[in-house]
Amino acid sequence: MMETLMISLILIPLIAAAITFVLPVKWRGVCAFLAALVNFLIAVLLFRKETTIIFPWIGWGIDFALRLYHFSGFIILAVSFFSLLISLYSLEFLKNKSSARQFYGFFLLALSFVNGAVLANHLVTLLFFWEGLLLTIYGLIAIGGKQAFKTATKSFIIVGASDLCMMAGIILTGYIAKTLIIQDIHLGLDRLGSLAFILLIIGAIAKAGSMPFHTWIPDAAQDSPLPFMAFFPAALEKLLGIYFLTRITLDMFKLDSHNSLSVVLMAVGAITILLAVMMALVQKDYKRLLSYHAISQVGYMILGIGTCLPAGIIGGIFHMLNNAVYKCGLFLTAGTVEKQAGTTDLDQLGGLRSTMPVTFFCFLVTAASISGVPPFNGFFSKELIYDAALERGKIFYLAALIGSFFTAASFLKLGHAAFCDKPRREDKGIKEAPLSMLIPMIILALTCVFFGVFNRIPINDFIQPILGRASENHNFAGWPSSLPLVLITIAVLAAALIHHYAAAKIKGSGLKAADHIHHAPVLSAIYRWAEKKYFDPYELGVKLVNWIAGLLSGIDKSIDWFYDFFTVKAACGCSMIIRKAHAGYYIIYVVWALTGALLVTLFAIK
Amino acid sequence: MTSLFIFAPFFLLVIINFPLGFLKGRCAFCLAASLLLAQVLLAAFHPWLFWSAYPDCLRQFFGFPLAVDNLALIMLFVIGIVALVSLLTAQDTLAGEKQKFNFINLLLVALIGMNATVLVTDIFSLYVFIEVTAMASFILIALEKGKFAIEGAFKYLMLSAIASVFMLTSVAFLLLTAGDISFAAVHHVLTNVPGSFFLKLAVGLFLCGLLIKSGVVPFHGWLPDAYSAAPSCVSVLLAGTVTKISGVYILLRLFSSVFTLTPALQNVLLFAGAISIVFAALAALTQDDFKRMLAYSSISQVGYIILALGCGTPLAFVGAVFHFFNHAIFKTLLFVNAASLEKRFGTTDINQLEGLGEKCPVTSVTSLVAMLSTAGIPPLSGFWSKLIIVMALFSKGRFIYAGTALIASIITLAYFLSLERRIFFNKGKPAPAAGGTATQISRGLNPAKNFSGIACAEILLAVFTIAGGLGYAFMLNTWFLPLKAIWH
Repeated sequence: MMETLMISLILIPLIAAAITFVLPVKWRGVCAFLAALVNFLIAVLLFRKETTIIFPWIGWGIDFALRLYHFSGFIILAVSFFSLLISLYSLEFLKNKSSARQFYGFFLLALSFVNGAVLANHLVTLLFFWEGLLLTIYGLIAIGGKQAFKTATKSFIIVGASDLCMMAGIILTGYIAKTLIIQDIHLGLDRLGSLAFILLIIGAIAKAGSMPFHTWIPDAAQDSPLPFMAFFPAALEKLLGIYFLTRITLDMFKLDSHNSLSVVLMAVGAITILLAVMMALVQKDYKRLLSYHAISQVGYMILGIGTCLPAGIIGGIFHMLNNAVYKCGLFLTAGTVEKQAGTTDLDQLGGLRSTMPVTFFCFLVTAASISGVPPFNGFFSKELIYDAALERGKIFYLAALIGSFFTAASFLKLGHAAFCDKPRREDKGIKEAPLSMLIPMIILALTCVFFGVFNRIPINDFIQPILGRASENHNFAGWPSSLPLVLITIAVLAAALIHHYAAAKIKGSGLKAADHIHHAPVLSAIYRWAEKKYFDPYELGVKLVNWIAGLLSGIDKSIDWFYDFFTVKAACGCSMIIRKAHAGYYIIYVVWALTGALLVTLFAIK
Repeated sequence: MTSLFIFAPFFLLVIINFPLGFLKGRCAFCLAASLLLAQVLLAAFHPWLFWSAYPDCLRQFFGFPLAVDNLALIMLFVIGIVALVSLLTAQDTLAGEKQKFNFINLLLVALIGMNATVLVTDIFSLYVFIEVTAMASFILIALEKGKFAIEGAFKYLMLSAIASVFMLTSVAFLLLTAGDISFAAVHHVLTNVPGSFFLKLAVGLFLCGLLIKSGVVPFHGWLPDAYSAAPSCVSVLLAGTVTKISGVYILLRLFSSVFTLTPALQNVLLFAGAISIVFAALAALTQDDFKRMLAYSSISQVGYIILALGCGTPLAFVGAVFHFFNHAIFKTLLFVNAASLEKRFGTTDINQLEGLGEKCPVTSVTSLVAMLSTAGIPPLSGFWSKLIIVMALFSKGRFIYAGTALIASIITLAYFLSLERRIFFNKGKPAPAAGGTATQISRGLNPAKNFSGIACAEILLAVFTIAGGLGYAFMLNTWFLPLKAIWH
């Protein structure tokens, strides 16, 4: 029974996806919603159950193996929860939009693949679903419009390249471990093991959207349909990437805090936090600003898991869950604003507090949550991460704290500009969104509060079992144990608030509150380069490839010239000279013949 | 009954010259054709009974012995085929019964000379029959008594005379030093007394004479004039056999089993061959006359044979003979194509011939086959012989010469394909408006003429080229690979 349910987690969305592609357009959304609902119910049924399934697939030791246990069950539940909310939201949001034709099909396909990847107990099975997601990412971005095609290609190449690294890592892991069943792999970090570890980590953090594999996310935020952003980069990819990262560091490889790779992981996390949040601070577009936060928050998770301390790991996983909740909520508010106001450009928004009060309320809760304001959920997970980071090194704690400051600053700016400032555009008739779009946002906002106030439920019931015995004697739930850290956090948030109000007062508008950072002497140049995409590995790669192509084309042209022009002219020139030499006087021929004969005879005698 | 190859043409020559009117026309042609056909069949199937009939009573009329081996059989076959084709072409192209009859007489004389050249076993007789062949061919070139024809014949005569002087001097030296001039004796002396100055000089002089006869660069001056000025049917005969037998074949024969191929001589041959290939191929690129281009192409292809001979391995020798055979077939075919065009349109100037692909499909297709074979495109026969030559050069370590041979193939392809495009593939100019000067081409074919003989010859040779390419393994195993035994 349980096996059938587990398989149906993959099959039901798959079949529903096939059906939506042939249904009339207006029924497609309903079909997707029903499939997501069934999926959610199954996930609830399967929660806290354990089972495995394996049957032969390709041969040569490659089997189709699935495993359900507390961690994968928890992730499945979260995934199905978000997919349910987003399919409900999309029903209204995508109504009468051209991208609705294909969105639901890809959406369900992605759901099926994510379920498969989470449940996979065999590295090749995992890779199969993991690469399938690549397809759906491409499809979901590409349906966004004419401009989206380029962004889709960009994301395809970046994610595809990191997936290739992961594929190499899987091959190497299988070679070292002599098995591909994930459950049975327990490797040390020797030289070859470290290489396999790094390759797998690249796959995982690239999926999560960490730097330097992040550059497609801000582009996709502008081009792709919004539910994709709320579903994929905000929720699903974080869940999947961090889930896999945790499994790599905890189960497959024994990463401990004495290993230098742990420091590398923490450094990647810290750098991602700082750089992405600095970029987020100066954005002038609602969705683009959120997308940089989607990158920045991954940094906290990687930092937490990289500490290799129980508090950090639990904090990282909890933050993953919290981030999915509030980031999904934030993107949904962005979608609502886009739908109702017709734009997400902060220069044209303003004064939405009065016209869209429910949206404003949801934004307020989720923004407070991401900034780490107590008692919302973000506060508790961040405190756990701070705790672990401080234990591993002050510099990481400091980076996380600065990140927190700028996160708060940028959301103050966003909220101020979009909801509180005077309307910059004379646009009457902005109304609150319909109910089916408000319900998901409200549920998410309430979840933020719920996970904050009753954080014992997610931490003790969902997350702590993942660590097993290592954390049995500790209690991570409840109010943070270290009062000084809490005070410091609150002080930082207060500083951000004071900074914002002071700056907004001087500049006269909330939107320009961060301009003095944007135009600071050194930073302004860096920002300008970043806007020109000088730091984007993909754009640099494209430039390099173009340059090489130009060079090769030049070489090719010169070869063409050599063959088509030079050799022909040279051959014809020689030919004409030879032809002139044959003037027709036999005496010349006789002279040639005699000279030749002389030479030949001399040679023969020698 | 080997001597029949010399006696039969001789008797036929006597018979058709009896003062009986009915023998002169159609009858003479039929007799000569059946004689040539018999030669082809005997050489191709070499029935054991015929060759071993003993005693060969007729042989006793000669003062010199004859011998036949695989190489001689191949040569007899080639001579028969090319002479037959030439005869067929002559029937369609020569004007007037008297000229046709003269042609048959001279063809028979040349046939006697060539057959004997192939069969004799001493150097002096060899010289004599080279001269017999040459005499016949001088007159053949000047058969139509045109200005250019006589000029061509004269140039050939002058350079042939020089070659004769060289060869005769060489024969004298050999006679003086060796005391005997049979192949075996000369070979014996040359291997036992390798250092003798006079022997070396004799070999060098003979080589010079033969290089003139083969038309290798820089001894080639006579060849383009003679080939292009001669009547088409004579060009066929000259290009396919006369110059090849009296030059190239003798080089192959002498350097395979009589003279020793010293490293110095190898270098001379390799160098002369490579120069011929490149030089003549370049010269062919800008020729305006079809037959002249073919003449240069002929020099270039002879270069391959000389190159292979200079390589000095049994495999290269096999390649040389194979290429000799292939070249005789496809170059003859090309000259027949040229004869066909000349007779139909009155010119072989490439600039005037245009868009003829639809007007003469047989000529168009067969010439394409022959040209591709010349350039060495698989699977046509020319490819396999060139492949063997290049392989032999490579295995001997002559990489530069092998590379030259390969690159020259591209030039060959270049000039032939541009020729094909201009003559056959082009759409041709629209017919000139009334009052304009209508060329013979725009007037179209002459329907009164019958070209069945030429078409027959073209198809026959094209089939040979294709079949030789597809069945190269059979040809190589039964005909050419046994030649390795002849090599020293």
